[in-house]
Amino acid sequence: MIRFEQVSKRYDEGHTALAEVSFEVAAGEMVFVTGHSGAGKSTLLRMLALAERPTAGRVWLNQTDLAAARASQVAPLRRRIGMVFQDHRLLTDRSVFANVELPLMIGDHSRRQRRQRVMDALTKVGLQAYAEQLPSTLSTGEQQRVGIARAIVARPELLIADEPTGNLDPQLAMEIMGLFTEFEQLGTTVLIASHDLSLIKRLHRRVIVLDHGQLVADVAAREVL
Amino acid sequence: MSDIAPGSTAPAASQTGGTERFAVWREHHAWSLAVSFRRLARRPIGSLLTIAVMALALALPLAFALLLLNVQRLGDALGRSQTVDVYLKLGQDQTAVTALADQLRQRPDIAGLSVKSPQQGLDELSRQQGFSDALHELSDNPLPWVVQLTPAKALSASAVASMVAEVAALPGVETVQDGGTWRQRLDALLGLGGQVVLGWSLMLALAAVLVVGNTVRVDISGRIEEIGVLLLLGASPRFIRRPYLYAGIWYGLLGGGLAVLLAAGIEYGLAAPAAALSAAYGGTLQLNALPAWVLAAVPAGAAILGWVGARLVSGWQLRRMA
Repeated sequence: MIRFEQVSKRYDEGHTALAEVSFEVAAGEMVFVTGHSGAGKSTLLRMLALAERPTAGRVWLNQTDLAAARASQVAPLRRRIGMVFQDHRLLTDRSVFANVELPLMIGDHSRRQRRQRVMDALTKVGLQAYAEQLPSTLSTGEQQRVGIARAIVARPELLIADEPTGNLDPQLAMEIMGLFTEFEQLGTTVLIASHDLSLIKRLHRRVIVLDHGQLVADVAAREVL
Repeated sequence: MSDIAPGSTAPAASQTGGTERFAVWREHHAWSLAVSFRRLARRPIGSLLTIAVMALALALPLAFALLLLNVQRLGDALGRSQTVDVYLKLGQDQTAVTALADQLRQRPDIAGLSVKSPQQGLDELSRQQGFSDALHELSDNPLPWVVQLTPAKALSASAVASMVAEVAALPGVETVQDGGTWRQRLDALLGLGGQVVLGWSLMLALAAVLVVGNTVRVDISGRIEEIGVLLLLGASPRFIRRPYLYAGIWYGLLGGGLAVLLAAGIEYGLAAPAAALSAAYGGTLQLNALPAWVLAAVPAGAAILGWVGARLVSGWQLRRMA
């Protein structure tokens, strides 16, 4: 599903965000990427989201080399990926429904399909009653759930989340993680960047550890246990 | 629950068939049209300023075109009473003059003619104040026979000029005085004015494109976060650009409409003074309105200019952001 081959990312000013990182993630697997701030977690996810290109190495999503994707391929490739951000990135002047509907509008879905799928996604995250509200009227946890609904509504092959529980209290964080494990059980590949080790330990999934851009550990789920 | 499971179906891009895809495309256009207008309405002052600048830029050449059109019409009206005076050589008898007049009547470029004898000329002069006593002192009548020609109505200035040259070359003709040379000068001036209007229109059209482009640039700058999210969600530049292109069309359409109203206002404001001026000269001239097709073409052309401005700027900005 995902394969990083000797991937490096160096910025013009000399900072190395990733240094020869290699790993694979199988389809349907849920993997955590952890490490200190500046370890390279977000850079790694941004490469999967085609927001960054490696300076060396290759990033594969199934049979597609993301590092070599042409500009015209970027948008269609991104439609195959659901993204959850720490700061939600919801459009504040649009309702919850309209925010969740965005990936379906972009993906040319009919109005009937959109209505059905958005309501299903909102039901899944427990926010069906908030469809017509503006995101600013919701709590941080609810806004994050809207972000998750938006990420899953177009049925992506891969779900990536950058610190999805960063601003949430432990109980809410577990609820959000519970949603991700449900998607994993349904066969979706899930990649989550998080520095919350206690949370990661409780979920017993494979963990990739980065430190100063280098992959220092790739701990299998059973080893976490 | 399975209905929303990620990855449970094909990727998002291939969800609909051709007909349905067209319906979705049409729906997004309708949505973009509506949302772009709502965004304009949400910033009434800024939008009105852009529309007003665009309207002024378009109304100026329109008003000048209106002026040219009416000067041309005035020239046409006065041109119809244009006469050409043919002065014959002294000492000609009436038979020769009548023969020449008959010859001229055959010409298709002459609508009519009248012959004025030397005596009639002298009588006219004597009726004018101050000449009567002086004329009584003359032993002979020094005036020649004069044939006054009226050129055919549809005759152009150059055709009149060639007719004058041909008549001047006839035997027995001393000289020809064309009372319509002013018309040629007016036509030349109108031609120059037309070129000025064209050049001016092109420059102001460019100004309109820049005004809309700058407004769209500001609009996009205020929506960078939204556009960033849309790009990450997989929106194509075309999808993102669409509402901004419609905004450009709205600016153009409304600016063009306002320009037409301004031109109509100028026309209305000048109608009464023009009629009064014409009446003072014993005429009944009324201002000519701009043709309906011009009034319809201005908002349509302005909408295209708005689209061009929005397209150039949004394309450039989105490329930078992507």
